[in-house]
Amino acid sequence: MKKIRPYIRLCAVLPLGFSLSCVTPALATIADSTLKIAPIFREAEAEESRSLARVLARIENGGDVQVYRLQLAASESVVTLLARHDNVKVALSGEPGHIAVLYPDLGDPYRGIFTTIIEGIEAQTGSRVASYAVGGDMTAQDIVANLKRQEIKVVIALGRQGMKAASSLEREFGVVVGGVMSAPEGGGRNFPVVSLAPDPGMLFERLKHFMPGARRVIVVYDPRQNAWLIRLARDAARHYGLELQAVEATDLKSAVRVYQEVLASADPKKDALWLAQDSTTVEETSVLPLVLESAWNRNLAVFSSSVAHVKRGALFSLYPNNVALGRQLATSALNYSASSAATSSVVPLKEALLAVNVRTASHLGLQLSSRQQGFDLVFPAP
Amino acid sequence: MVKGFSYRRLALACALSFQIAAALAQSAEDEEYLALAYGDKTTISIATGSPQSLRRAPAVASVITAEDIAAMGAKDLDEVLESVAGIHVSRASVRYAPMYVIRGIGGGGQTNPQALLLQNGIPMTTLFNGDKGAAWVGVPLENIARIEIIRGPGSALYGADAYAGVINLITKTAADTPGTEFGVRIGSFGSKNGWLQYGGKLGAVDAAAYLRVGSTDGIKEIVSADAQTRNDRLFGTHASLAPGSVNTGYDAIDGGLNLSYDQWRLRASYKQRDQLQTGAGINAALDPASQGKAETVNADLSWSDPQLTQNWSVGVTGSFLQYVLTYPTNVMLLPPGTRLPSGSFPDGMIGGPNQWERQYRLSAYAAYAGFAGHNLRIGLGHDDLELYDAKTYKNYLFNAAGAPVPAGPVADYSAIQPHIRPQLRKVDYLYVQDEWSLARDWAFTAGVRHDNYSDFGGTTNPRLALVWDAAFDLTAKLLLGRAFRAPSFNEQYGINPVGNGNPNLRPESIKTLEAALSWKTSRDSQVNLSVFHFDMQDIIRLVGTSYANTGAQRGNGMEIEALWDISRSVRFSGNYAYQKSIDRATGRDAGYAPHHHLFARGDWRFAGNWLASTQLNWVADRKRAAGDLRPDVPDYATVDLTLRTVNGKNQWNFAANVRNLFNADVREPSLAPGLAIPNDLPMAPRALYLQAILRL
Repeated sequence: MKKIRPYIRLCAVLPLGFSLSCVTPALATIADSTLKIAPIFREAEAEESRSLARVLARIENGGDVQVYRLQLAASESVVTLLARHDNVKVALSGEPGHIAVLYPDLGDPYRGIFTTIIEGIEAQTGSRVASYAVGGDMTAQDIVANLKRQEIKVVIALGRQGMKAASSLEREFGVVVGGVMSAPEGGGRNFPVVSLAPDPGMLFERLKHFMPGARRVIVVYDPRQNAWLIRLARDAARHYGLELQAVEATDLKSAVRVYQEVLASADPKKDALWLAQDSTTVEETSVLPLVLESAWNRNLAVFSSSVAHVKRGALFSLYPNNVALGRQLATSALNYSASSAATSSVVPLKEALLAVNVRTASHLGLQLSSRQQGFDLVFPAP
Repeated sequence: MVKGFSYRRLALACALSFQIAAALAQSAEDEEYLALAYGDKTTISIATGSPQSLRRAPAVASVITAEDIAAMGAKDLDEVLESVAGIHVSRASVRYAPMYVIRGIGGGGQTNPQALLLQNGIPMTTLFNGDKGAAWVGVPLENIARIEIIRGPGSALYGADAYAGVINLITKTAADTPGTEFGVRIGSFGSKNGWLQYGGKLGAVDAAAYLRVGSTDGIKEIVSADAQTRNDRLFGTHASLAPGSVNTGYDAIDGGLNLSYDQWRLRASYKQRDQLQTGAGINAALDPASQGKAETVNADLSWSDPQLTQNWSVGVTGSFLQYVLTYPTNVMLLPPGTRLPSGSFPDGMIGGPNQWERQYRLSAYAAYAGFAGHNLRIGLGHDDLELYDAKTYKNYLFNAAGAPVPAGPVADYSAIQPHIRPQLRKVDYLYVQDEWSLARDWAFTAGVRHDNYSDFGGTTNPRLALVWDAAFDLTAKLLLGRAFRAPSFNEQYGINPVGNGNPNLRPESIKTLEAALSWKTSRDSQVNLSVFHFDMQDIIRLVGTSYANTGAQRGNGMEIEALWDISRSVRFSGNYAYQKSIDRATGRDAGYAPHHHLFARGDWRFAGNWLASTQLNWVADRKRAAGDLRPDVPDYATVDLTLRTVNGKNQWNFAANVRNLFNADVREPSLAPGLAIPNDLPMAPRALYLQAILRL
C-alpha cells in the first residue's frame, strides 16, 4: 500500500491573529474569530486526492469555516516550522480514509443516535468511514486488525463502551471521544472529549430569551461529575448578566436539603433552577418529581440539560443534534495531532437542538407564540 | 521482532477482549447516559426521527410509535388499531375487508366511510365507496414511523369523513430508518413476506425507500350457509357452495419513497393487492374462484417554511392519487345452478364492476403568531375527485322490476346498464383556527372549516376546545365539534336496482361533546380518561331500493387508558372502552359494535437482548341491530404472544408471534337481519409467524 507522506496531508488551523508571513503573505491578513483552515498541498494534489477535494468543498460550504487553499512545494521543513508555532495545529492524519469509528452495539432506538452521528462524520469527511460496533459480532482482535490494515490514524470513540475500547488501543492510534458525559476517570489515556452535556452558555442564552427578567440561576451539582461544567457555567453566567449559585452536594440527602431551601426561598420572577446531567443530585425517581411539582406550584422556571426532564415538566432543554455532533467530531479527528492527545480536554455540546414544554411555559405565563416556530421538539405531544 | 510484536498484539487483543466482554454489561450503562441526554426511548425515536407534526387542535388522541408496533409484534395496521382505546376492527363479508369501528360507529355495512384514513396527512379515501378501498388490506408496518389516531370529529381541520375518527400513518424518512434492512416473515395460512428498506443520503437529498412483496392464502374458516343457501331453499335448487370456506388470500406489493431536500419533500407510495379473493363473496355467496386486483398509486410534493418570518410560517402541498379496482376474471355473484324467479343461471350469475379513479389535491396554509397569546392558522384548498372510467361486465340485465334476467354470455354492458357512470366532484375549502391562551393554564381553541362541494353544496363544521392545565400532573379538556361524511359516489350515482344512488343526498353529520382528563399518576405511570356523547343526523341508509338521508343515532361512552413502566424491563399498558349507541328511529341499540372492549399488554425485556410481550383482547356485548332477531354476537377473548430479539446493527433479529394462542372462536357480526349470511363471520384461529430481519 502506498505510504502516506505527511507533508501533503496537512491541515493547519489558524486561530485569531495568527500571522505566517514566512509561508504566505495571504495568511497574514486573517484576523477574525472564524475558524480558518489552510490545507497545504503540492500542486496537482487536489486532483490526485479526490477525497481531499471533497472534504475541502464541504468545509467551504459549511459556512462558519473559511478555507485557504495553499498550493506550494511543501516540504518536511515547512511542516516542522508550522508545527512549532503555538497557534497552529497540524493534522498529521487529516485524511478522511484514516478515521474509524468505534460505537456501542445497542438496540433501537439508541442505535439510531450513533447511526446519525456517523452520518455527520461522513458528511464532514466527505467519504465513508469504517465503523465498528463494540460488543457486536466482531471480536476485539478483528477490530484491531482492521484498524491496522486500514492504516487508521484516528479513532472516533462513541459512548462509554467505545471510549473504553479505545482506551486500550495502542498509542499509535489517536482517539477523539463523543457521546459520553465527561472525560474518562483517571488512570487511562487522556482524550479530547465532546460531551453530551449542553453548553451552559447556550442554556443561559435560551433562558434569557424566554425569561428576560431572569437574574439568578441555581444549580445543585456533584463536583465529582460536573466541576468542569460549572467552571464553564460561571463564565457563561457572567456573560449573560446572571448570577450563578452553584451548590455542591456529594450525596442525595444534601441535594434534597438544598432543593428544599431553594424552592422555599427562590423568587420566581428572577430565579431559575437548572438541572444538570448529574446522577447524584438529580435523582429521577423520587427527587425530580417533587422538584418539578413544587416548582410548578411556585411558578418557578426549571430548565434542564436533559430532554427527558422537559417531557416531565421542565421548561426547556437542549439536546444533541446528532449530525452536527458527528461533524464536530470529524473536525476534531481531522485536526488531531499528538499535542491534542497530551491533555484531556472536555468541551460541552454546542451542536444542540431545543426542546420546550409549552404546557409549562403557558403555566409560567411566558408568551411563546411568536417564538414557537423555532422549537425542534415540543412537549407535551399533541 | 516479529515474535515480540505478536505477543504484544496478543496481549493487547486479550486486554481488549476483556474490555469488550465487560462492555456487553455496560450496554445498560451506555443507555442510561444516552437517556439522560436524549430522553427515554420514545423521546429518542422522536428526537432522532423525522420532525414531529406541529401541534394541532386539541383532541382525544393516541400515538403509536414504531417502537410500540415492534413490541406488540403487530404485522399489519388492523392489529395495531385493535389495540387502540375506542377502536374495534371488525370485518365485512365482502373481501373480509377491515372495518374500523370507532366509538361504536362504523359497523353494519360493507364499507367503512366514517373513519378517515390519512397517509402523511393526505386522505386515502377512494370515491366509489367513500372509504379506504380494497388495496388497504394487510397494510404492512415496517415502513411506518408513527400512527396518530384522533377519536372524535376532525372535519374542522381535515374536512370530509373525519367523522368518528382520523387515522394518520406517518411513513419513515431517512432519519427513521438509517441504513439498509432486509426482512422475511412466514407464517400460518401460507403467509410469505419479504421486504427491503433503505434510508440514507443521495447526494444532498435525504432518501428513504421501501419495497415489500408478500402473499397469503388467507384463513379458510367455514361459513355454514350463505345467500344462495336461502335461494336454494326458496327455489328448490342445490347451488350454494356453503358450507364452505371463506376465501381471503391475496398477493401484495407495497412500495414507498420519501425524498426531502431543504424545505421540499416528495413522497410516493404504491399498493397492489392482486389475486384478491372475495371473502364470503361479493354478493354474500361463497365464491372461491374469483379474484380482484386493487392498485393505489399516490404522490405528494410539499414545501413548507416554518419560519418564513418571525411570525409567519407557511406551507403548500400538492398531491395525486390513482385507485383502480378491477376483476380480470369477473366475480361469481351467485354460483352455477342458481335459479331465480326471473331466470336460471346454469353458469352462475356473473358480474364484473371495474372502476378507475384519480384525485388531485392542492392545499396551502399559513400560521401567524404575531398577536400576543394567539396562534392563528388559516388554510385553503381545492380537490378534483374523479371516477374517470367504469366498466361493467355481466351475464344478466335488470328488468324494469329490478330483477336480474339472464342475458347469455358475459358481455360489456358499460354503455347499456353500467354499475356507475364517470363522475367528477370538485371541492373548495377554507379553514381558520385560533389557539388563544386566555389566562394562565387556560387555552381556548376555536376553528371552523367550510367545504363547498360541486355536487351536494356547502357544509360548515366548527370545533371548540377548552384546555385547562389544572395541576402539574393533571390536564382537563372539554371539546365540542361537528363533522360530516360526504356521500360516496355509489350512494349518489350507483346504478343498482337494489341499491340505487340518490343525487340529492346531503352529507351525514355528527355533533360530539367530549371531556378528557390526563393524569400523570407518577413518574412511571399515566392514566387518561375520556367521556363522550354524540348525535348523528342525516345518516345515509338504504330505504327500499335507494339511498336516503334517514337515520339518526346517539351514543355515549368512555375510554380509560393506562400506562405503567413497572421497572426498566417491564411495562404494562392497557385500555378499556365502553359505548352504547341508540338508533333513534327504533330506540334500539345500533348493534354490531362491542359495548365493552378491553385490551391489555405486558412487555418484558430480559437476558439483555430479548423481549417478550403478551396481550389480551376482550370484545364483549355486541347487540343485534333493530329487526335482527338472532341472539347477541358471542363475546371473545384472545391472547397473543411475541418473543423477539433486540440486537443492534449488522446483526440478525428474530421474532416469533403466536396470535389467538388459545384458539378462541372469534366471530364478527354478519349483516342484519342475517338472511344473507345467517351465522356470524368466522375469524382467524391460532396462528404462528416467524420473522427475521437483518440491518446493515
